[in-house]
Amino acid sequence: MTSLLITLRESIRYRGRSGHYSWIAHRLSGLAILGFLVLHVWDTANANYAPGLYAWSIDLFKHPFFAVGEIGIMAAVLYHAFNGIRITILDFKPEWWKYQRSSAIFVFILFVVLFAPIGIYMFDEFLHRCTEAGAACWKIPRVSDYREAYRLYLDTRGG
Amino acid sequence: MATLSEKTVRTVEQPRNLERYAYLFMRFSGIALLILAVGHMMIQHVLNSSGNLTIQFVADQWNSWGWRTYDMFLLIFAVAHGVNGLRNVLEDYIHNDKIMAPIKIFLGIFIVVTILWAGVAIATFDSAQAREFHKVLSEAVQGN
Repeated sequence: MTSLLITLRESIRYRGRSGHYSWIAHRLSGLAILGFLVLHVWDTANANYAPGLYAWSIDLFKHPFFAVGEIGIMAAVLYHAFNGIRITILDFKPEWWKYQRSSAIFVFILFVVLFAPIGIYMFDEFLHRCTEAGAACWKIPRVSDYREAYRLYLDTRGG
Repeated sequence: MATLSEKTVRTVEQPRNLERYAYLFMRFSGIALLILAVGHMMIQHVLNSSGNLTIQFVADQWNSWGWRTYDMFLLIFAVAHGVNGLRNVLEDYIHNDKIMAPIKIFLGIFIVVTILWAGVAIATFDSAQAREFHKVLSEAVQGN
C-alpha cells in the first residue's frame, strides 16, 4: 500500500514536464480505452449469442452515465491515437527527438481543436435526446423485459 | 581522429525475440488503429449515435461483408494492442517474475479467447433473424 502511494505520488511529482505529462495521459487514456473495449467487445458478441441480453445492454448504454462516459472514451481515443503516432515517429526517427517537447504540445493542441467540436456535438445530441425522453432518460431498463421479448420471438419462430 | 562536429554512429544489435516483435506490433497496429479505431468512433458515435442504436442497426451493418471485415480487423488489432499495452504497464510496476509469468499467460489466453469468441460472433451473426427479433422487441418493450 505504501509503495503504491509512493508510486502514485512520485509519478505525478517526477518533473519530466511535457514528455512526462504526455506519458501519464497516454497511459491513463490507454487503460480507460481498454476497460471500455473489453466490455464493448464481449457485449457486442452477445448480439450473436444472446440477442435479448444485447438489446437490453444497448438500451442501458443510453443512460446518462454511459452517454457521458462515451464522450470521455472519444477524448481518450483521440488523444491516445495522436500521441501514439508521435511516439511512433520519434521511435523510428530518433534524430527528430529534438522536437519532442514541441511535438507533445502540438499533439495536445491538435487534440483540443478536434475534440472540442466533437465533444460539444455529442453532448448536445445527448441533451436533446434526454430532454425529449424526459424521466425515461434516467430509467434503467429491466433485463427481464428483454428476455421475455426474446422468448416471445423464439416462440413465433417455432410456431 | 574524431572531431566534435562528426556524427557518432553507434550500431546496436537488435535481438530477434518476442519482445522486439511485440514492440514493433504496438507501432504498426497503432498506425492501423488510427484509421480503424478513430474511424469507428467517428462513424458509430458521431455520424451515427448510440442514442438510437438498436439490434436492427447491427443487423443492417453486418449484412455487408465489408463492415464485417472492418470490425474483424478492428477487433484483432484493438484487443491485441490494448492487452499488450496493459502488460507493458503491469511490467513497470510488478518486478516479481513469479507473479508476472502467470499474468502474462493469462493475458495471452485472454487475447486469443476474446478474438475467437467475438470473431465467431461477427462471422456467424444472422442479420435476418436479428431483424425478426427487433420487430418482436419493439412491440414488446415500450420506446425501443
